[in-house]
Amino acid sequence: MWSYIFRRLLGLFPVLIGITLLVFLFLQLIPGDPAQAILGERGTPEQLEALREKLGLNRPLYVQYLTFLKSVLTGDLGTSAVSTIPVADELKRRWPATFELALAATLVAVALGIPVGILAAVRKNSLLDTLSMSLSLVGVSMPVFWLGLLLVYLFAVNLHWLPTGGRLSTDLAIDFRPLTGFLLLDSLLALRGDVLWDALRHLLLPALTLGTIPLAILTRITRSAMLEVLSQDYVRTARAKGLAERQVILKHALKNALLPVVTIVGLQFGTLLGGAILTETIFSWPGIGSYIYEGILNRDYPVVQAGVLVVALAFVLVNLLVDLSYALLDPRIQYR
Amino acid sequence: MKRAVLGLLVALGLGLAQKTLVFGANGEPVSLESGNITDGISIYVQRQIYDTLVDFKPGSTELTAGLATSWFSSPDGKSWTFRLRQGVRFHDGTELTAEAVKFNVERWWDPKNPTRIDAAARYEIWPELFGGFKGDPGSILKEVQVVDRYTVRFVLSQPFPAFPAAIAAGYFGIASPAAIQKDGARYGSPTGSAVGTGPFRLVEWRPGEQVVLEKNPNYWKKGFPKVDRVVFRVIRDPAARLAALKAGTIDFTTDIPPANLRDLEADRNLDPVYRPSFNVGYLALNPSHKPFSDPRVRQAIAMAINKKAIVQAFWGKLGVTDGHFTPPSMKAFQSPKVTDYEFNPQKAKALLAEAGYPNGFEMDLWYMPVSRPYFPTPKEIAEAMAADLSAIGIRVKLQTKDWASYLNDRKQAPGFQAYMLGWTGDYGDPQNFYDPHFACPITDLFDASGKTLCVKELGDLLTKAATSANAEERKRLYQQADELTHSLALRIPIVHSQPLLAKRKNITGWTPSPLGSESFETIEKR
Repeated sequence: MWSYIFRRLLGLFPVLIGITLLVFLFLQLIPGDPAQAILGERGTPEQLEALREKLGLNRPLYVQYLTFLKSVLTGDLGTSAVSTIPVADELKRRWPATFELALAATLVAVALGIPVGILAAVRKNSLLDTLSMSLSLVGVSMPVFWLGLLLVYLFAVNLHWLPTGGRLSTDLAIDFRPLTGFLLLDSLLALRGDVLWDALRHLLLPALTLGTIPLAILTRITRSAMLEVLSQDYVRTARAKGLAERQVILKHALKNALLPVVTIVGLQFGTLLGGAILTETIFSWPGIGSYIYEGILNRDYPVVQAGVLVVALAFVLVNLLVDLSYALLDPRIQYR
Repeated sequence: MKRAVLGLLVALGLGLAQKTLVFGANGEPVSLESGNITDGISIYVQRQIYDTLVDFKPGSTELTAGLATSWFSSPDGKSWTFRLRQGVRFHDGTELTAEAVKFNVERWWDPKNPTRIDAAARYEIWPELFGGFKGDPGSILKEVQVVDRYTVRFVLSQPFPAFPAAIAAGYFGIASPAAIQKDGARYGSPTGSAVGTGPFRLVEWRPGEQVVLEKNPNYWKKGFPKVDRVVFRVIRDPAARLAALKAGTIDFTTDIPPANLRDLEADRNLDPVYRPSFNVGYLALNPSHKPFSDPRVRQAIAMAINKKAIVQAFWGKLGVTDGHFTPPSMKAFQSPKVTDYEFNPQKAKALLAEAGYPNGFEMDLWYMPVSRPYFPTPKEIAEAMAADLSAIGIRVKLQTKDWASYLNDRKQAPGFQAYMLGWTGDYGDPQNFYDPHFACPITDLFDASGKTLCVKELGDLLTKAATSANAEERKRLYQQADELTHSLALRIPIVHSQPLLAKRKNITGWTPSPLGSESFETIEKR
C-alpha cells in the first residue's frame, strides 16, 4: 500500500510537467500580442517594447518556457503583469473561497443526488423515476451562466430572500476579520452567529448553481449503479433469507453500488475546483475561478498560467485520493 | 412614556448609524499609486483618496482650484507657477508643501528617481501626456522648482498652454511623500497604504472583493464629504451588477449596457444617470489604399453613411453625431462653419463617379471584436454602415480579428483599409483629442508608399495650436483644425456617446464628470 502511494506520487511529476507544457503552449496559441492587449488602443511603440521586455516576450519560446518551469519548481508563480502583485500570494488568499464553494456544491450534489438516485432505482419506472431522470437531463444541459442569473433574479432581485453575490454583506465584510479564509469555519471559531448566517445565505445560490450539473450526473450514476447491484445474486440471496427490504438496500446493495459513485464524486469535486469560473464571475465570488477569468480578460499570462496550474494540481490530487479510497471501500482491489 | 424612550433610542440609533455608500465597480483596481496606471477603476478609487493640483468643475471640463488656489504662466508661456492651498494635511498628518508636489512629479517624470521603488511599474501616462520622461528629447518638462514653501514652478522646454488641464487629469493625485518612503514597493498595493489629501482615506483593500474608504474628518473642503464611508464592491459581470443594483446590494454604479436603459427607466427604485460625452467613435479611412487616396472618395463615404439613423438606432438618447472630432463639451474649440456632411446618397454617388468610380468598388471594413463605450456593438454598427455604402455601389467586406492583433495590425503598414476605433479624453483640452490622431506623423494611417502619413498643413496647425500662449489665437487655430480634419475626412466621426450609469433613488448629489471619474464628496444617501 505505501509503495503504491509512493509510486503514484512519483508519477505525478511527469503529469505536472505535461500540464505546465500544455498551459504554456495554449497561451502561445492565442493570437495577438499580449503587451498590445494590456495597453489597449493607446499604447505607443515605445511603451509596447518596454512592456514586452518586462514580460519576457522578446525571448525565444523555449527560454520563456524554461523560465516559467524553473520559477514554478522553486515555488515562485511570478507576478501579475497588470497589478505586479505576486500571483502566489493572490492564489493563497483566494483558494479557501473556491474550496468552500466547491465543497458546498458537492454537498448539494451528494445530499440530493444519492438518495434520489437510490429511490429512482428502487422504484424503477415509477413517476418519481421518470421525473428525476428528466430533471437530471435538464440539469446537465443547463448553461451555468443562465441558471445563475435566473436564480439571482428570482431569489435576490424579486423575492429579496437572498443576496446577489459576494461572500458577505458589505458591512459584515468590513467588520469581520477572517482567520483562515474559510468563512464558515472562521465564523464558528469567532463565535459569530451573524457572520455564519450571512455567509451561509451568500453561499446558497452559488452552491446550487455550481452543484446542479454534478447533482444531475450523480443522480444518474447512482441509479444505474444501484440497478446493476440489485440484479445480483447476493441481493436475491439476502431477500430470500427474509431480510427486510430496507436492510437489503441500505446494507447489502448500497455499499457495493457506492464504488462508482465515490469515483464520480471525487472527479466532480476536482472539476468544481476549476470549473467555478463562470459561477464565481456571476456571483462575484472572490475565488480562483474569478481570478483566472480576470486574468484571461486582461491577458495576464502569469495569472492564467499559475491559476490553471494550481487547479490542475488540485484535480490530480483529488484523483489520487479517490484511487486510494478505493482500497478502503473494496477489499478486492489490491495494490502491489 | 416607555414607547417614547424606545422611539428616541431608535431615532438616536438611526442617527448614529454610519452612512455607507456602496459603489458597484466593474473590475478590480490595479494600483492605488497615482501616476502609475490608467485604468478606470483605479482612477475612480484614487479620485476619492487624492486631490490634484487643479480640479474640474462638477460635470464639466472647466478648470477650478484644487490643491492649488491659483496658477499663472510666464509671459513666454514656458513656465507655470502654482500657489498651493495652505494648511492642507495628508491623511497621515504630514503637510502638503511645494516639496511634496515636487517629490510626486519627479517620481512620475524621472525613470531614475530612487523613490520609484517598483522596477516593474509602468508610469506610462506621464510620457504620453508630457512628451517623454526626464532625459527624453521630447520631454516638455525641464525642471520642477520649489519657489517657497507653498509655491511650485514647472519650467518647460516649450510653451504648453494645456499644462494646468493636463496636470489636473485624475492620474496625477498628489500623495504623501512620507507614506511612499515608508511603504516602499508595497505603496498603493493591497498590502500597503495609499495616502492623499482627498475626501476619503483608505481603510482596507481586499482584492477581488472590496475597497473600503472612510471619511477624512479633516478634509479641507468644509462640510464635505457627506457620507461616512465609501465601499467599492467588485462586480465584473454587467448583468450581475444590474441585479445587485436592483436588489439594493449596491447604491450606484457605472458601465451599464445601453440596452438596459429601458429596464432602468421602468424600475421604480432606480434612476438612469448620464455621463456627459467625452469620447469619439470614428471610421478611419486609410489613404494608402487606392480609392481612399482621393479625398472625394472619402467625402463620398462620409456622405453615404446615414449617421443620424445609426446613432438613433444604436444609442438612442445616449449618443449624438455632429461632424466634429471633439466631443460637444469642447464647443469653444469647434468651428461654427463645420456642420456634418449631409446624408445624401445621390450626391455621394456623383462624387464617386467624379473620382472615377461610377460603379463603386470593393473595400474591407474592420470592426472591433470588443465593446467600447464609443462602440458598444461594433459588429452591428459596421453592418449598418456597410448597408448604407452598398447603396452607392461600394461592396463592403466586414473583417475582424482578436483585439490585440486588431490594435497592432491597423498600424503596421499597409494597415487596415477602413476600420472603426475611438478615443476617450484624459483632460479637457482639444490637444488631447487632435494630437494622438492628426499630429505629424499619424501613426495609424499611411500614405501610398506605406510611410506613416503626415498632412503637413494640419500638422503645422496643430503644433502651432499646442504651443500658442495666446488663448484667443489658440481657440481660433483649433477651430481651423476642426474645419481641416472635417474636409480631409481621414477619420469620420460617427458618434459622441454618453456612458450610461445608474443609481438608486435615495442617492442624491452625484454629478458625473465627462472625464470618467469624479469625487463622491457631494453625494448624499437618504
